[in-house]
Amino acid sequence: MTQADWYLPGFCGMGLHLRLDGFRLVYLGIGVLMWGCSGLFSREYMAHYKRKLRYYGFFWATFVATAGVFLSADLYTTFIFFEIMSLTSYVWVAFDEKPESLEAAQTYLAVAVIGGMVMLMGLFLLSHLLGTLEIDRIPAAAAQAAAAGHQPELYAAGGLLLFGFGAKAGCFPLHIWLPKAHPVAPAPASALLSGILTKTGIFGIIVVSCGMLGGDRAWGFLVVCLGLVTMFLGALLAVFSINLKRTLACSSVSQIGFILTGIGMSCMLASAGENPSIAARGAFLHMVNHSLFKLVLFLCAGAVYMNLHRLDLNEIRGFGRRKPLLAFCFLMGALGLGGIPGWSGYVSKTLIHESIVEYGEMAGGVEVAAAAGAGGAGAGAEMAAAAGAAGTGAWGGLAGSPGFWTVAEWIFLFTGGMTVAYMLKLFFAIFVEVNQDPVRQAEYDGMSGRYMKPASTLALVVPAVLVPVMGLFPGVTMNRLADLGQGFFLAEGMEHGVHYFSLGNLKGGLVSVTIGGLVYGWVIRQWMMGKMPVAGEGASGQELSRGYLDRWPQALDLEHLLYRPVLGRLLPGIWGAVCGFVDRYVVSAPVSLFLAVSAVVCRAMDQWADGLILLARGTTHRQMRTKPREHQDRLARWLGQMMDRWLRFRLHLRGQDLPPDLLPSHVPGLVRLEQSIWRTGHLVEESFSFGLMLFCLGLCLTLGYLLLEFVRI
Amino acid sequence: MEGNRLLILPVLFPVLAGILVLSLKSFRGGRSRSQGEDSGVGPAASRGEGSGTGLAASQGEGSGCGPAVSLGEGSGTGQVHGAGLLAGREVLAGVVVTALAGTLALVLAVLARGESRLFLWQLTGNTALEFGVDGVGRLFALLTSAVWLLVGLYSLVYMTHEKDEHRFFGFFLIVLGVLLALDFSANLITFYLCYEMMTLTSLPLVLHERTKEAVMAGLKYLFYSVAGAFLALFGIFFLTTVQGNLAFTPGGVPGLAEAVAANGAESLFLAAMFCMLVGFGTKAGMFPLHGWLPTAHPVAPAPASALLSGVITKCGVLAIVRVVCFVTGPDLLRGTWVQQGWIFLTLATVFMGSMLAYREPVLKKRLAYSTVSQVSYVLFGLSLLEPGAFVGALAHVVFHSLVKNALFLIAGAVIFYTGLTRVEDMRGLGRIMPVTLACHTLVSLTLVGIPPTSGFISKWYLAQGALSSGTGAWEYVGPAVLLVSALLTAGYLLPLAIDGFFPGTAAQGHGPAAGAAAVSGHGLSGAGGMDASGHGLPGADGTAASGHGLSRAGETAASGHGPAARADVLHPLMLVPVVVLTAGAVLMGCFPVPFLAVLEAIAGQVF
Repeated sequence: MTQADWYLPGFCGMGLHLRLDGFRLVYLGIGVLMWGCSGLFSREYMAHYKRKLRYYGFFWATFVATAGVFLSADLYTTFIFFEIMSLTSYVWVAFDEKPESLEAAQTYLAVAVIGGMVMLMGLFLLSHLLGTLEIDRIPAAAAQAAAAGHQPELYAAGGLLLFGFGAKAGCFPLHIWLPKAHPVAPAPASALLSGILTKTGIFGIIVVSCGMLGGDRAWGFLVVCLGLVTMFLGALLAVFSINLKRTLACSSVSQIGFILTGIGMSCMLASAGENPSIAARGAFLHMVNHSLFKLVLFLCAGAVYMNLHRLDLNEIRGFGRRKPLLAFCFLMGALGLGGIPGWSGYVSKTLIHESIVEYGEMAGGVEVAAAAGAGGAGAGAEMAAAAGAAGTGAWGGLAGSPGFWTVAEWIFLFTGGMTVAYMLKLFFAIFVEVNQDPVRQAEYDGMSGRYMKPASTLALVVPAVLVPVMGLFPGVTMNRLADLGQGFFLAEGMEHGVHYFSLGNLKGGLVSVTIGGLVYGWVIRQWMMGKMPVAGEGASGQELSRGYLDRWPQALDLEHLLYRPVLGRLLPGIWGAVCGFVDRYVVSAPVSLFLAVSAVVCRAMDQWADGLILLARGTTHRQMRTKPREHQDRLARWLGQMMDRWLRFRLHLRGQDLPPDLLPSHVPGLVRLEQSIWRTGHLVEESFSFGLMLFCLGLCLTLGYLLLEFVRI
Repeated sequence: MEGNRLLILPVLFPVLAGILVLSLKSFRGGRSRSQGEDSGVGPAASRGEGSGTGLAASQGEGSGCGPAVSLGEGSGTGQVHGAGLLAGREVLAGVVVTALAGTLALVLAVLARGESRLFLWQLTGNTALEFGVDGVGRLFALLTSAVWLLVGLYSLVYMTHEKDEHRFFGFFLIVLGVLLALDFSANLITFYLCYEMMTLTSLPLVLHERTKEAVMAGLKYLFYSVAGAFLALFGIFFLTTVQGNLAFTPGGVPGLAEAVAANGAESLFLAAMFCMLVGFGTKAGMFPLHGWLPTAHPVAPAPASALLSGVITKCGVLAIVRVVCFVTGPDLLRGTWVQQGWIFLTLATVFMGSMLAYREPVLKKRLAYSTVSQVSYVLFGLSLLEPGAFVGALAHVVFHSLVKNALFLIAGAVIFYTGLTRVEDMRGLGRIMPVTLACHTLVSLTLVGIPPTSGFISKWYLAQGALSSGTGAWEYVGPAVLLVSALLTAGYLLPLAIDGFFPGTAAQGHGPAAGAAAVSGHGLSGAGGMDASGHGLPGADGTAASGHGLSRAGETAASGHGPAARADVLHPLMLVPVVVLTAGAVLMGCFPVPFLAVLEAIAGQVF
């Protein structure tokens, strides 16, 4: 197969490596188609919005990043573009700046960032383990690592990558962002989010499941189980939803489940030594189909929203009447998604269904062989070996039991049925039924000719026409696509072509359609529709009419029940308290304790000598109490009076006679001086005697010492 | 003085310039004060009326572009009273810019000469003061002088709303000289001297505002730094006793291991090493002595916080690099309890810092905790004693320095123009400072480590290094903690960007509204905000009218100036450093190969 490689060495350290080959070519083409159509449609849709520059800037930035993801030839490049894409597409979700948009955007960002970080951890492990992240070299390197006993690390890396990519793909239990983000984003952006951004996650899961852990039975089984749960839950949510875009978003979750199941089956078939191409082709074609369907359906939803600015089924009911072109486009998408024979969704679903049936039959063969105690022939023997190798526990047992695969097949068919049912619900609500409010219905009918400009119509019709064309001529269209794409799954060409319109294959489709009809007729029309007050200008508000009820229990929301409390409150609360405690007390408490204790100790050390002296003065060295002698101021008085007289005399000479009590007297000052001289003298006397005493003591000690020395000599 | 004498110039030049600036202050202090009283014009008024004299880059009257900041202190009124005052501001700006640019040029000139040494003088028998240039020193010197120039330009505008500019710029320049001396130190003794000097000279930057809070924070900074340095000093004493000459040698001083073994002092050696790690780790904000960071940053002026966080904490890292890789050598520590304990401390710090940042409402304090966490990324990389992780650590030194400087400068700009400090009040910031907030978004993503920005590169190297470090459970715990911390980083940095650009339809008129009201009250928001609230919205009450002040400021700008005026309110001198730092942080991530090659060469010498 021809391919083109493009390196940019040194970018981000390890360099970029892009490649154009089969799978990547197809997805680049789909990307161009989707961005082209959405871009064209945006011109009308965004006409009345402010900040168009912001929208278009991030619109095309996301295109570049998404193309980068699909063209990447090593996981390092994938990761770089993946992260850019996650962040630029954030702007779409938050674009409206309504409270619900901001909340959805918060969820989207949280899932994207957490997913990105977990994926990065997986890449750390993988790069360390394999020494390469080149997608081509991963299978061989992984096989080597597994042979060298690094299987647990491989599983760990795979699990982390699956988490990261699965978060973007919308795989259960990380699908929470899809039903929230799609209804609030502008419709062309929703088409891209759902139609192609989720596929970047699938891209990574394919690399992990078909390349890195290709042929690992336990891994394949895990992916299949995730796929089945995702598909069923998504469809269930979609059946319950009464919001047009939310239904489509839940449907995306469900369809991603189909694709995951296909990928998982491809892994399982490879593990059994079979050619996995039937599952691989199914998964790939379903990716392509789903991109197309969602483009068509979300653009239809965009056409509705653009005119009404509403998405609630009860309010938009009847909008599509007398708008045949819109109805045609929507119908193409709906029939394709529902897997009706003749539309392209049927082909891919048939392939995935076939792969489940095929593996189930093989598992049955092994069971028989094991029961008979004789080695089965061909595939059976390999299966038995694989079953033995994959482990003896319930895990391997379940994956090998034909009963499980029967259940899987029925989940598959039933989910297909629910797909039909919710698409019927949408189609009937919008295009067939009449609005409860006759005024509004008249208004809707009046819009018939002018609800969409020609450019937008073109953007809608082109992908819509592709759906039946591909469905009616699968041989020339879908098989060719599958031939291009299957190399990426490491699958080889099919030995024999599948007759899509053979009776056996039609049967599966028909079973689903029948189930769908029953679900629609019994559950949706009977239980989910009921009397409700009529809203709108033409209604009094008292009338009751049959409308769509929201029967989904509000409390049953994984995000509000589990993720937000745990991630938003519990973990930060606990760890924040712990860290805050550590931060505040671990250093400062010992320091304050140390300071307090040492302050006391040091104060004691500081004052022990003083204390000793005080003690001595209080006890042994009590001071003699000596009073200052009285009348010890005679000299001062005499001198002072003399000076006073002299002063008065001088004043008298100058002719200034003043009464004696107004003149300042020298006596008190001189008295103070004399007293202080006396006190100082006394103190010196006392100290001198104290010093003399100490000197005597020292002299005695010296004498004693000399005596001692003298005696010793 | 033997050797390359040029080496002393980048150290002396900024110090002398700083002293000159300080003396300018005493020369002009009296006059400027009397001038202020004479004219009776407060700084707010002068800023509003500034009309483009000299360096003044005010946006003129009726521009509606937010505060018109004139670089010259003198304004319309000031001019009447005397040109001397005006010249004072210009002289200051001129000296500062010349000093910074000159220092950068000198550093480049020195670095261009390759490895060289300069022997200053002999202190005692075997301790000498010596400068030298090697790979690590070159990296740090270049980083320091370049960042200083950018932050200096920013401060020229920012400091117009603080007092005592001369003191700030004087010490600003002196610290630069000391840091360059630190980077060029060629042995542990010289290094330690400069290290203590750095603490002392950077202290005036922390307590610049001289409020009680600022002084207490400054004291805390001083005590922690001195305590840490003394812990380290114990280790230096020990090493000097064992092996006299502690000249930095890549891979460890030769003969140290034998000397330690000969003295039979292995356990004492390890204890000394641990003391040094914890001691020098104080400056780097490593637990348990990280406490000074969150206290000192919020009170310091924004440029000072930026430098403290972006460059001065890195000097703690440099100290540890010098000790571990250039004195003792990694082999002596590998596998010992010191390494285990060290890894534990760094990872604990990484997690604790980002957790506390996540729960911190005040922006600058949040960024301080973020620094605690991010610098410990670097220390974690060093603690693994593995070449790849070493490269990642040094790369993160540079990247984090760029990012954190940008973040603090942006936080400062927000304070400067709106007076807001709490993150939840900053809703709708994108309307008045779109370019700034875009820069904030980009550097936040860098810090989270989203490719292709630079934070991703360092994280990649750190994680790969951890995985191949052979440290047992830390191999896996380390990268996991780094990623959890990255998640928290996204949690504490992105909300500002998100609320700034997507304030929400319901929430308009709240958020910066309050700030705008407060701001126009202070006269800080300048023409734009004033005009908007002056026009008001018909029928709206006072709060609502001024509530729209901030958002209207942007709109007025948009309508008033035609296409060009969707621009930021930021003064170009504030905006340019932010943009340059952001561009550096992003582009170094896209094209890191030459830079990584340099780091790998260093790692090759050490390991």
